[in-house]
Amino acid sequence: MIINRKIHQNKTDKFLSWLFLIPVLLILVVAAFVPLGFGLGLSVTDYEPGIENTSFVGFANYIRLFTSELFQQSVRNNVLFALMAVGLELVFGTFLAIIISHDNRSNRLLTTIVLVPMTIAPVAAGILWRMLLDRTYGAVNYFLSFFGIEAIGWLSDYRVALYSIAMVDFWQFTPFVAILIVSSIKGVPRSFVEAALADGASQFKIIRKIVLPIIAPTLVIVGMIRFIDAFKVFGTVFVMTGGGPGNSTLLLPNYIYQEGIRFFRVGFSSAIAMVFIAFMFILAGLFIKLRNSQMRRFE
Amino acid sequence: MAGLTNRSSDDRVNLGNFASKPVRVIITIFVGLVVLFPFYWLITSGLKPENQYFATPPIMVPTEITFDHFVAIFTKHDALMGLTNSLLIAGITTTVTVVAGSMAAYTLINGALPGKVKGFFMVWFIIQRMYPAVVVAVPVFFVFQQLKLLDTITALVIMNASFNIPLVLLLMMGFYSEVPYDIEEQAILDGCNLFQRFFWVTTPMVQTGVVAVAILTFIFTWNEFLFGVILTIRKATPITVLISGFVTDRGLEWGPMAAMACAVVFPVLIVMWLAQRSFVSGISAGALKM
Repeated sequence: MIINRKIHQNKTDKFLSWLFLIPVLLILVVAAFVPLGFGLGLSVTDYEPGIENTSFVGFANYIRLFTSELFQQSVRNNVLFALMAVGLELVFGTFLAIIISHDNRSNRLLTTIVLVPMTIAPVAAGILWRMLLDRTYGAVNYFLSFFGIEAIGWLSDYRVALYSIAMVDFWQFTPFVAILIVSSIKGVPRSFVEAALADGASQFKIIRKIVLPIIAPTLVIVGMIRFIDAFKVFGTVFVMTGGGPGNSTLLLPNYIYQEGIRFFRVGFSSAIAMVFIAFMFILAGLFIKLRNSQMRRFE
Repeated sequence: MAGLTNRSSDDRVNLGNFASKPVRVIITIFVGLVVLFPFYWLITSGLKPENQYFATPPIMVPTEITFDHFVAIFTKHDALMGLTNSLLIAGITTTVTVVAGSMAAYTLINGALPGKVKGFFMVWFIIQRMYPAVVVAVPVFFVFQQLKLLDTITALVIMNASFNIPLVLLLMMGFYSEVPYDIEEQAILDGCNLFQRFFWVTTPMVQTGVVAVAILTFIFTWNEFLFGVILTIRKATPITVLISGFVTDRGLEWGPMAAMACAVVFPVLIVMWLAQRSFVSGISAGALKM
């Protein structure tokens, strides 16, 4: 991707080269390196604001964490949420992409329309759906009542709430998935399709045998990106359920926020954050490996 | 066979005809409804008087319209302050991020830096895009408390800049590496130093890229919520935080809440419509390059 360029530059240029990095480095130090180091330090203490005598507790927070019921539940919630949302997004995103990849006026209009949900703030999407999904005054239950379906407590029933949150994610990000897949579909060589058509293959067969294998690497990459993003969802849950009812929609970011900011258990919350980063490290490693192997297949 | 007679002259495949025209029209309408109905509901909820948004069954087409809620968010709920703050935060963050990010991207591509530096940044940016902002939330609060920057726009600019820099850097590095190196060499021979080449020669050639990156940064920053909640108390509160106040406070005031949500959503939609192409190309390049 990035060509290594032959550099033969004088002293001024060498000095300026380093100088150009300074703004970015300053921002990163204040906003990333220092807080991360600080967080690591806090995670081995029992620090709570307002309480004197902070002491070093070693790995106590980490041990407590792995035996914590709530931590396990939020991991389970988050994994289930991610699998559901990303699975649906990939299936419907591919479907939508096949439809909008055909470049005519009505499809361009559709592209513009589907861009809307992914552009708006997650908190706004959360508010929007909170109103629509309200058990009594919401439009969704009203529409369902035409089909004789009784009112569902989308956000108030602990068995349903996590699915509702996943549905909002699906609504917001399927277009994103579709748009990435469209650019991949446009890369399918026309001659392949023409040859298949000449041999009398049906459109569905062409999609299954030619298009899907070619866009498979993109599907893997997009799926991974969405999977990672599913562990960053915060605002939507914050405004829709706040993690409830009964912690049934508590995802990891909300759990960290709740422990650290609401209950002031700073040490413990930092330990969750560190475990989280370690987990994302592993996921990132897997991701890069997978991407490289897909890229090789692609070439 | 319609795919073969398509008037588009390029080498692109055409799969759009796998469904017959009526089916496609139905799908288009259905998708359009699913996407747009929530916005219709949002706007009408903002315009309905209280007895109409708390009605069972819900009223689809309001029979009575009031602008009270849109007035109320400005007179009672500080919407003007929130919008001003959001605009300032997003505007300054975009400027800072694009300038700092382009400079770093330029020097990583064309500067005289050891390869290790580039490697370090690439690895770091992949890591930073993996973890969610919330893992640094608590320490960040203490850092800004120490710096006496709580409840300031500066604090939010710094945090937003830091979380947008990876994307900006990655994209800008891609754009700069597409500029032929002959141009750089020519400028070196003409006696331009690195700063002059960055400012007058190369960056003007990647203008469209700069615009795409700026739009993405602006939208992401406008939509940011977490640091807004943690680092502001009152006077630097962005609009996304104001809207969350409607849910955490007691009682749901749907009318003003819907009006406030309109204030969050519509500025961004306008930006997106004006710059749809840049937005799409930026977002796809950003995702697939990481």
